[in-house]
Amino acid sequence: MRILKLKKLNLFSFLQSLSNGIELWAPVKKDSQTVFQFILPEEINKINLNFTRTLLPPKKLFIPPSFNMFQVTAKGYKEDYSWIKDRILFGLHPCDIHGLLTLDRIFTQNFPDSYYVQARQKTLILGLSCWPDEYCLCQSTHTDIIEEGFDLFFSELGDDYLVWIGSSRGDDLIRIKPEFFEESLGTKDIEKYIEWREKRAQAFKTKINFVFMPDLMELKYNDSVWERAGTACLACGSCSMVCPTCNCYNVRDEILLGDKPGRRVREWDSCTLLEYSLVAGGENFRSKKSSRLKLWYTHKLQAFGSKYGKPSCVGCGRCLVTCPVGINVKSISDSLEGKKVDAFWARFSIEVKP
Amino acid sequence: MEKLKIGIFELTGCAGCALLILDCESQLVDIFSAADIEAFLMAKSDNSDGPVDIALIEGTVTTEEEKEELLAIRRRAGLVIAIGNCACEGGIQAALTASGNWSKEFRQVYKDLKPTNVRPIPSQPIDTFIKVDYYLPGCPIGQEQFLTTFTRLLAGHPPELYRFPVCMECKWRENECLLNKNIACLGPLTKAGCGAVCPSHNLPCVGCWGPAEEANRSAEFKLLLEKGFDPESLQRKMAIYSGTTIVDFFNSLKKERR
Ligand code: SF4
Ligand code: SF4
Ligand code: SF4
Ligand code: SF4
Repeated sequence: MRILKLKKLNLFSFLQSLSNGIELWAPVKKDSQTVFQFILPEEINKINLNFTRTLLPPKKLFIPPSFNMFQVTAKGYKEDYSWIKDRILFGLHPCDIHGLLTLDRIFTQNFPDSYYVQARQKTLILGLSCWPDEYCLCQSTHTDIIEEGFDLFFSELGDDYLVWIGSSRGDDLIRIKPEFFEESLGTKDIEKYIEWREKRAQAFKTKINFVFMPDLMELKYNDSVWERAGTACLACGSCSMVCPTCNCYNVRDEILLGDKPGRRVREWDSCTLLEYSLVAGGENFRSKKSSRLKLWYTHKLQAFGSKYGKPSCVGCGRCLVTCPVGINVKSISDSLEGKKVDAFWARFSIEVKP
Repeated sequence: MEKLKIGIFELTGCAGCALLILDCESQLVDIFSAADIEAFLMAKSDNSDGPVDIALIEGTVTTEEEKEELLAIRRRAGLVIAIGNCACEGGIQAALTASGNWSKEFRQVYKDLKPTNVRPIPSQPIDTFIKVDYYLPGCPIGQEQFLTTFTRLLAGHPPELYRFPVCMECKWRENECLLNKNIACLGPLTKAGCGAVCPSHNLPCVGCWGPAEEANRSAEFKLLLEKGFDPESLQRKMAIYSGTTIVDFFNSLKKERR
């Protein structure tokens, strides 16, 4: 992989020069949070480089929360790919790129999802290095470093970025403004980078026993932790919405008045919801919240493993900052390990015996 | 194909749901040409009291007379759809009937005045008295949800409404959770369908789409107590759009306190 150097003060001009004729999406502030947003070349200064995690993960660009799959008339149906544009997505941290690679295993392999596949093909991924906060778990989940899945990756190093070229399409981007890039790294740069990597590795404050989890999930399948968390769970679905590897969806049909075509709408779904395991005839395989949470955590910490190589949690910390009652990979794996947990759900379940 | 006969009826409420149907301006011609609107007091003067295939009923039952009217509509209707929080849950006027002090409260408002032309009763959602086939929630109902439901019914399909809480739509719109900012949002307890308009404007959900099927009231109540809210104002807040469904929860709180 080729590594180049870019002056920090040239980053925005570089991105601006790329956004000609192609949509640039980048992290932008929304109140106190950061979200990925489409930005016009003249708004380039809106880009917020100083963020830990966006509210929604980048999956929203490849499978939007709610979109029209096709129009249907009496004559037949016509797929709607109109929302899929040529895009450059800048600012993905390693955990989020790992998240996309996980979605790839689901949506591009056995049964390719034509919407996802097209959106992926049309989007260039520009990664960005980051510094962990107290919710980042990616070191524990081994997703703190990324070696594939990007076209370019920018590592911040003092007044420069080291820029990894991850694909020939990435290389093409460099060629748009070759004068911005220095070809050779000095020994100083390399030393500085190694030092940065070491310091970053030391900076992770929060850890989970990720390697032990598949076993522990099995051993504690009937542990009271599930019942206790289930009693406090609001069944709100937020954890799934913000998780970069949750991928379930539902479809519903909209019929319109007059002779307007109908639509099939595809929307994000969550296994933490009541109707998720409801089947025709009214039988619900997971009517209890405890069994739904168990399924969710099996995917994040265990069974995704047997089917697709590894558990699907990429340690982004979004469930930690999102669940209003404190149910998240950290508090759940800690309790499975028998540790005392300081979370609303743990306090609540003592008060209200499940 | 013969057009379906539709009746839109109003009991006690603010008439906001009926008004919202009238307000579907660009679609109104389509609505009136896709079906025969047999009865719709707000929109026309020649209203039939004959049979209808689908009755959309707004409002609560607040008098004996309305109860009789409602029973009569049920007898001549194929499907009955409750529209709006009043018809579905009892509406704001049922919010405090949970106390069981209706007669006392009635006197507080009307003193010794005797109503002459109606016989008032505690406000009730329509399913207290009749079988309801489907419920279209909201205060008032949402235009988009009304139209998609209406067209599905015309095509002979059951409505496809969200059963999950507002939080789902709130996350789709990428809002930071207000609960995590110590604002008492009732989104987790409330049916989705409004597009999470309030949290999308940084305002907490007050529950106007009515209680979600799996509303975890005790968890959210305790969570908000922990965040420092006082129990009385929380109970009032939770009662506004929960109609008669809040009674059990209030009783369980009373039991706990003992
Ligand atoms: S389970 Fe939590 S920490 Fe892991 S990827 Fe999903 S949201 Fe991120
Ligand atoms: S675990 Fe938390 S975020 Fe997920 S559904 Fe339950 S309450 Fe909502
Ligand atoms: S702001 Fe309200 S509706 Fe939105 S996720 Fe939080 S609790 Fe739910
Ligand atoms: S967010 Fe809540 S209060 Fe606001 S419209 Fe929706 S259901 Fe009603």
